[in-house]
Amino acid sequence: MYAYIIRRILILIPMLLVITFLIYLGIELMPGDAVSFMIGPESAANIPIERLDELRESLGLNDPFIIRYFRWLGGILKGNFGYSLSSGVPISQIVFSRLPATIELAISALLFSTFLGSILGIIGALKKGSILDNVLTVAGMIGLSLPQFFFGLVAIVIFSLNLGWLPAGGRTMPGYEIFLDRLPHLILPTIVLGSSLTGGVMRYARNSMLESLNKDFIKTARSKGLPEWRVNFIHGFRVAMTPVVVLVGFRLPMLVGGTVVIEEIFQWPGMGREFLSAVRGQDLPLIMMIALFTVSAVLIASFLIDILTALIDPRVRLE
Amino acid sequence: MNNSKISKLDKKMDKIKEKEEKGLLKEKKVNRTLRKFFNNKLAVIGLFILLTITFASIFAPIICRYSPGKINLTEALEPPSRDHIFGTDKLGRDVFSRVLYGGRISILVGFGSGIGSALIGVSIGSYAGYKGGLLDKIFLRISEVLIAFPQIVLVLLLVTILGQSLWNLLFIFILTGWASMYRMARARMLSLREEEYIQALKAFGVSDFVICYKHMLPNAIGPVVINITLSTAMFILEETSLSFLGLGVPLNLPTWGNILYAAQNLSILRNNWWIWLPPGIMISLFVLGLNFVGDGLRDSFDPSYQG
Repeated sequence: MYAYIIRRILILIPMLLVITFLIYLGIELMPGDAVSFMIGPESAANIPIERLDELRESLGLNDPFIIRYFRWLGGILKGNFGYSLSSGVPISQIVFSRLPATIELAISALLFSTFLGSILGIIGALKKGSILDNVLTVAGMIGLSLPQFFFGLVAIVIFSLNLGWLPAGGRTMPGYEIFLDRLPHLILPTIVLGSSLTGGVMRYARNSMLESLNKDFIKTARSKGLPEWRVNFIHGFRVAMTPVVVLVGFRLPMLVGGTVVIEEIFQWPGMGREFLSAVRGQDLPLIMMIALFTVSAVLIASFLIDILTALIDPRVRLE
Repeated sequence: MNNSKISKLDKKMDKIKEKEEKGLLKEKKVNRTLRKFFNNKLAVIGLFILLTITFASIFAPIICRYSPGKINLTEALEPPSRDHIFGTDKLGRDVFSRVLYGGRISILVGFGSGIGSALIGVSIGSYAGYKGGLLDKIFLRISEVLIAFPQIVLVLLLVTILGQSLWNLLFIFILTGWASMYRMARARMLSLREEEYIQALKAFGVSDFVICYKHMLPNAIGPVVINITLSTAMFILEETSLSFLGLGVPLNLPTWGNILYAAQNLSILRNNWWIWLPPGIMISLFVLGLNFVGDGLRDSFDPSYQG
């Protein structure tokens, strides 16, 4: 087991290094350097070029690229992510103020899609080939095919503009603090994001359940004379759910950056919207750091999931 | 339950036998895969939707009475009528012709990036998978890095660096999309290269390129075609989302996403449904068609997928 963990870490670290290197390369490609941002173009015109060069030298901007990269990487490890170009706010502060909203949305959409998807998938598997199964399969395909933004727009028009049941956007109203007050704001984005995820979970759960229903232990359980519901839900379900849980685990970090469209439509103040406004404002350091943050989240999460699956299923370690 | 199933099958067999004895059952010459595909109702519906929308877009100049860019402010924001089937937008442009012309760009971007990334991913992936070694390891790591990014984050990042244009978007989609094709082709080749006929070809001294592309690749064509349809669906969804956000194809070209960009305006969203509903439905139908076809292909190429 320890050998497996160490092997996985040995794969993870070079990948993180490559990604940080690419991200740093991207930041370096940006025209201008720290000095040209510190001193505006007007005052720079009045300062002799030698003085600017001295300043560059003292800040270490003339060092070779690789040395600057490692200095930057050291800063990241100490929590110094740099500053946003447009607002001047430290990027770590922006990320940590936006992250909770995104995680709230991602988790509620994941819960919604996991529950709905696995229940519908299991129904489909148990009633395989029936009309209900076919209807569910087609409905899942439609869910996968509707563009999230279009589905979101239709939901806003129906439920907030015409019926007025739910707010069209935002995360909270001024003066309301507790979670229950925020709940109405969460419902529409959760349903829209959740539905587009449900189709995938459903298909996955259906196949996984069908597979586990064909296994020998199900026949054993049946021949023991257990009631059908017990065979399906206690014996079959447990085994079928493991891959579904793994799928959901992979999706959470993907959603940290993948909620861009939903957050924009529902004016949800999360990472995705921050990323989008950084893209619109060409705020390259902020864009790069959010990208780095999402990728690291995905890589670390998949590392943890690998370790977990290896703990559960010893066969994985041998690969 | 099982008994009724068996007797049903028995009846079916009896009928087939009866027909056979009477000589009614002709030897079918059509490809077995194709026949299976056309027996799948959803796949046929999907293909029908795809062909209808594609041909309507290709022949847009013949079908439409108005040019998609023709501004007519006296007829702005008119609801659907006999003159304008889908009404007009804020600048008096005919929505129907914009939707058809928009399909040209959206479908081009979708299929272009789907086929482009397949060409690159499959040609690298099959050779790397067959040869293995350092080349394979390097590309495998690159593809892992690419796949670790949420697609939309990576695409937006590249849009910022490269700038916003139709060709850049195609390039970015291919750049971000080849990795999954590479992995699929590689996995397929890894299992194929242990086959005996490959060993035989090697023993005859056939060159690696010929073995790889002429003898192995045709056996991997099924998964490749399935992947192209499904990734085309993904690229169309991505292009339309980006254009909807105003970060995809520049706004002067009509695409399905660009037409929906107008719906960011709350008053248009509330009062002028005819502007944003048709392109939205068009995208959904087209992507649904692609998914149906992709699924049908998967079932007909590989019976083990049928759940």
